[in-house]
Amino acid sequence: MSPDISVRVKGLTKRYGDFVAVNDVSFEVKKGEIFGYLGANGAGKSTTIRILCGLCTVSGGEAEVAGVDVVRRPGDVRRAIGYMSQKFSLYLDLTVAENLEFFGGAYDLFGKAYRARRDEVLHDLALDALEEQSTGALPGGIRQRVALACALLHRPQVVFLDEPTAGVDPDARRNFWRVIRRLADEGTTIFVTTHYMDEAEYCDRVGLMVAGALAALDTPEGLKRTFVPGRMFEVQGAGVAEMAKVAGDLGLLGIEPFGAALHVRVADGGPDGETLRAELVRRGIPVTRVSDAEVTLEDVFLKVVGGAARPAKAPAEERAS
Amino acid sequence: MNRFLRRTWAVAHKEVLHILRDARAVYLALGLPVVMLMLFGYGISQDIDHVPMAVVDQDRTPASRRLCQALVAGSDFVREVDLASPDDAEAALRSGRVKAVLIVPLDYGRALARGLPAQAQILVDGSDGTTATIAMGDAAGIVTALSAARAVRSSLNAGPRIRVRFNPAMRSAYNMVSGVIVLILAMVASLLTALTISREWERGTMEQLFATPVSRLEIVMGKLIPYTGLGFVQTLLVLTLGSYLFDIPIRGSLGTLFVCSMLFLLAMLGTGLIASIVAKSQLVAVQFALMVAYMPVAMLSGFMFPIENMPLWLQGIAHAVPGRYYLTTLRGVLLKGNGFARLGEETMALAIFAVGLLAVAVWRFRRRLA
Repeated sequence: MSPDISVRVKGLTKRYGDFVAVNDVSFEVKKGEIFGYLGANGAGKSTTIRILCGLCTVSGGEAEVAGVDVVRRPGDVRRAIGYMSQKFSLYLDLTVAENLEFFGGAYDLFGKAYRARRDEVLHDLALDALEEQSTGALPGGIRQRVALACALLHRPQVVFLDEPTAGVDPDARRNFWRVIRRLADEGTTIFVTTHYMDEAEYCDRVGLMVAGALAALDTPEGLKRTFVPGRMFEVQGAGVAEMAKVAGDLGLLGIEPFGAALHVRVADGGPDGETLRAELVRRGIPVTRVSDAEVTLEDVFLKVVGGAARPAKAPAEERAS
Repeated sequence: MNRFLRRTWAVAHKEVLHILRDARAVYLALGLPVVMLMLFGYGISQDIDHVPMAVVDQDRTPASRRLCQALVAGSDFVREVDLASPDDAEAALRSGRVKAVLIVPLDYGRALARGLPAQAQILVDGSDGTTATIAMGDAAGIVTALSAARAVRSSLNAGPRIRVRFNPAMRSAYNMVSGVIVLILAMVASLLTALTISREWERGTMEQLFATPVSRLEIVMGKLIPYTGLGFVQTLLVLTLGSYLFDIPIRGSLGTLFVCSMLFLLAMLGTGLIASIVAKSQLVAVQFALMVAYMPVAMLSGFMFPIENMPLWLQGIAHAVPGRYYLTTLRGVLLKGNGFARLGEETMALAIFAVGLLAVAVWRFRRRLA
């Protein structure tokens, strides 16, 4: 494995009886990259992470993390990785400092070296003043940062974050991603799962998991270009059925409901917004407004999954922020 | 300090913090034993006395009065009421007002005076089996003593002289308290550890722990150390309180007592750990621990039911109950004044249980989650 590759997975498969949780998945993650794993609940995201952390056996295929073969020597990878599970698994009856001290000890950090590193991490994550607080009394967003602090103490080469922002308020989520970006810039590889589409935009590359298989893998821009080419317009005042009738005439590539309106996509070089509106009205469709819309990863996801397994949307107020 | 010790220490230190933050654990370890000791020691006594008794004295001679007095004298029986006729005895027992009825027939005194066999009747309420058995025993003893006194005079054979060693007063507290100590340690020690690993499964922290370099041996050891300390304090408390409150002598070797207590404690902590590892939920773990630690000690250790009276197959099972060996040790050290010399077998059995159960705990504790 070349030194700038942190995670390499080839033909990875995990079965539970007849159920295939991870099906022949292959990919590589570069050092310092933020690699997003996007998919619905039960698509195999957590299982993949747990395999890569050496927490789970493998049914077939190869997996290397930080140069360690996790299929054959799952125990050896622990020193090189940081893992933050879905529940921010901290000891809620202990204080922030006590949690840090315990996880420090678990990673053989102690004495002066530990204290120096602790102060550094606390400062980086803006937790300085909270050391003596009981972890259970802290709000979700801070608890999440404490969990991250515990996972970063031993300076892991690769950090695995399993749905790190589930149940955290929008402000805290944005702060969290700022920290993640800085970590990646410093050379730490980040492997993160999420089902928030807007969060996937922060990733350098995104893998789309559908029913255990890796359905697509590219940068967010690349995914949009490949799966949702052309220009996107938001059309108000029209129904899906009547639009579908004129789709062929106007060269429409896709029609998707979006709130009370429609997201309509036309090929590159097709009509602009004003032309589109005029054409629709001319064909007897009472369109009130056509405006430019941005292609999102959600459009990509819907395209790839075919609407079969729709992931959870971020709540409206969070999207607005 | 090497890495193994340091990581074990990290786990142990965390566990101590859990214990200190959780008032329930402290109550469970130190409060519950005291409550149980009081309950069993004071509340449940097999020394039955003050049995309410009705008297039907048809004889009305000095001899019949002597018999009545003998029964009441040791405060084993209380003369609750006098009835005119034996026909009233049935009703008195039925009403529950008395548990025994003494009926002295008309020619009792005369028969005695002539040196003929004299018969008095004692009716006992058998619906309360324990009281009945003990009341019968007490009555028989008193009557035997009374007639023996006469028999010497009339140079009849007085039969064998029985003397009870180690507990001459036949105080049930001696048996009760040693049994209760075993019961308390079995229950509380297994419960303490039953909660500790299942709690981490439930909260998801175990998975987090598995992602660190801490090994399963380090986790088990780290959890065992603080609970052994707590269990030691608890053992000391129960033994001290038990012997102080109930005047239980400690006649034998303190060293033997200490070693065997610690071995038994480790065996019970190990049992709790196994429950915790197998169950993965706190509720199930607690039930499991009570089933495998508490129940066998209560039923099969010889505390409540003598092992010798069990059917053979049950006696076989009783061999696998650690509490049985600890009970023998306790009674041996406390009452008989024994040490290792006479308790080697029991000590060995306890050591095997302690090491074996802890080994099973470590072995069953798989790191892999699936």
